[in-house]
Amino acid sequence: MREMISMVVVLTVLTAVSGGLLAVVKSGTEVQIENQVLKFQKAPAIQDIFPEATNDPLAERFTIKTDDIELQIFPGKLSDGSKAIAFETKGGAYGGPIGLMVGINLDTDEIVDVRVTTHAETPGIGSRAKEDLSFVSQFSGLKMDTNFALKNGGGVIDAMSGATITSKGVSVAAAQAKEIYQKLKPEIVKQMK
Amino acid sequence: MGDLFVLAISCIFINNILLAQFLGCCPFLGTSKKMETAVGMAMAVVFVLVMAGTLTWMVDTYLLKALDVEYLRTVSFILVIASLVQFVEMFLKKSIPGLYAGLGIFLPLITTNCAVMGVCLININEEYTFVQAVVSATAYAIGFGLALVLFASIRERVNLARVPKPLQDTSIGLVTAGIIALTFMSFKGMV
Amino acid sequence: MAQSLAKEFTKGLWAEIPPFRLVLGLCPVLAVTKSVENGIGMGVATTFVLVFSNLLISLLRNVIPSKVRIACFIVIIATFVTIVELMMQAYTYELFLKLGIFIPLIVVNCIVLGRAEAFASKNSPVMSIADGLGIGMGFTLSLASLGAVREFLGNGTITVWGGVPIFEMGGNFLPFKFMIEAPGAFVGLGLMLCLMNLIGKK
Repeated sequence: MREMISMVVVLTVLTAVSGGLLAVVKSGTEVQIENQVLKFQKAPAIQDIFPEATNDPLAERFTIKTDDIELQIFPGKLSDGSKAIAFETKGGAYGGPIGLMVGINLDTDEIVDVRVTTHAETPGIGSRAKEDLSFVSQFSGLKMDTNFALKNGGGVIDAMSGATITSKGVSVAAAQAKEIYQKLKPEIVKQMK
Repeated sequence: MGDLFVLAISCIFINNILLAQFLGCCPFLGTSKKMETAVGMAMAVVFVLVMAGTLTWMVDTYLLKALDVEYLRTVSFILVIASLVQFVEMFLKKSIPGLYAGLGIFLPLITTNCAVMGVCLININEEYTFVQAVVSATAYAIGFGLALVLFASIRERVNLARVPKPLQDTSIGLVTAGIIALTFMSFKGMV
Repeated sequence: MAQSLAKEFTKGLWAEIPPFRLVLGLCPVLAVTKSVENGIGMGVATTFVLVFSNLLISLLRNVIPSKVRIACFIVIIATFVTIVELMMQAYTYELFLKLGIFIPLIVVNCIVLGRAEAFASKNSPVMSIADGLGIGMGFTLSLASLGAVREFLGNGTITVWGGVPIFEMGGNFLPFKFMIEAPGAFVGLGLMLCLMNLIGKK
C-alpha cells in the first residue's frame, strides 16, 4: 500500500512540475517564436506579393476575429495608390497542408499575386509550387469571383504536370481565401482606415 | 473515398514509414534476422499503431487543442503510448493468451519504436480529420509490416551468402535496406 | 575520481560511440544527415536532452520507485525535449523547420532512454553528466561525419553552419543525387559501419 502511494505521488508530482516548467518556457518564448514565423515564412511571401508597397505590411499587420476564424491581415499600399491586403490560408495536399499567402486588391477585387508559404511535398515534384512561379502566377489578376478550381474540376487553373494533388491543394487554399474574403471584406475595410 | 484511397497508397508505398521517412529503424534492424520475429513485430506494430493513432488524435483534438496547451503534446503522446502498450499487454495476457505468446516480447519494445510516435505526430502536423488519421495510421502500419517482412526474407538469404567480414551483420543489413529503399523510390510521382 | 570521470566521458567518443558501436537511435541518424549542418543541429539537441535528463534522473534515482521508473524517465525526457523544441523554434527557426518531426522524436530515441536506464539510474550526478556529454558528443560526431559524406557525394558541398557552404566542388563534379535521398542514408551508414569494423579489428 505504501509503495502504491509513493508511486502515485512521485508520478503526479513529476508530471505537475513538468507541466509547470513547460508552461513557463512556452510563455517565455511565445513572442520570439511568432517573430520567427513572420520572418522566415510570411515575410518573404509578402515581399514577393507587394514588391513596391509604399508602406510596411509586416509592421502594420492586424488581426480580425469573428466567431469561428481568427485572421492575420497584412495591409499593403500599391504603387498606383490602391489599397490591398494579404492573408494566409491552407489547403490540403498529400504531404501535409499547403500554406498560401493571397494578396488581394481591395479596390478592384482582383488578386495581386499568390505565394506558397509552407509545404512538405516531395522535393522536386510538389515543391515546384513554391519555386516554379508560372504555376502560381496564373492567379494574378483574377477577379475574386472566379472559380479557382483546377480545369478538370470546372475551374480555370492549369495543374502542374505530375503534381496534381499539390496543384489541387493550392487551388483549395485559393478557394478558401475567396470565401473568407467575401465574408470579411466589410470588416477588413472598416479596420483599414 | 477516392482521396482516402490515395492517402492509403501514398502512406504504404511513397512515404513508406521505414524506407522513406526512417521511422522505426531500430526494430527494423533488430527483429529482421528471422522471418518469425519479423512477422511478430509487424503484427504487434499494426495492432498498437492503429490504436495509438486513433487515441492520440482524440487526445490532441478534444484535450490539448480544447485547453490550448498544445506544447504538452510530446509529453502526453508518449504517456498515452506507454500506457496503451502496458494495457494491451495486460489485456492480451488475460484474454487472448495465444496472441500474447506470439506478440508478447515485442510489445514492450514498441514504446520506444519511433514509428508509433512518429505517425501520431504526422497525423497532427498534417491536420488530418479523424477518418484520415485512422486510415493513415492503418496504412503506415501496413507499410511498416510490408517493409519489415520483405527485408527479413532477403536477410535470411543474405545470411547464407559469403559476406566479407567487416561488412557482416548490421553493416550488410543497412546496405540491403538501402537497395530496398531504392526500389521504393520508384513509387515517387505515382500520385 | 578524475580518472574515472574522464573514462566515462571518452568512452562515448570511441569505445561506445553511438550509433556505430551502440547500434541505437538509428532513425534520426538516417533521416537528418542530408547535410553536416542538420547533423550537428540534431546532435547538439540530443546532447542537451541527454545531459539534463541524465542529471535529473541521477539526482532523483533514490526517490523514484523502481516499478514506475520507466514512466518517470519518459516524463523527464519528454519535458527536456519539449524545452529544446521550443528553444529551437524561437532561436534557430530554419534548423527547426529542417529537422521537423525528428525533434519531438528525440523522446523515443533509444540512446536517451538507454543511458537513463543503464547509467544515470545507478550512478552519481557528476558521473552521469560526463556520460551524457560523452555519448552526446560521440553521437554528434557520428551524425556530422555521416552528414559530411552524404552531402559531399550527393550535393558536392559541405555546409557546417548557416546555409553557406565552406567547400564546393568544381563545375565538372556530377553529384550522386541518390546519396541525399533515403537509400543513400542506409548505404552510407552501412559502409561507414564496415569501415569502423575494419579499423577496429587491427
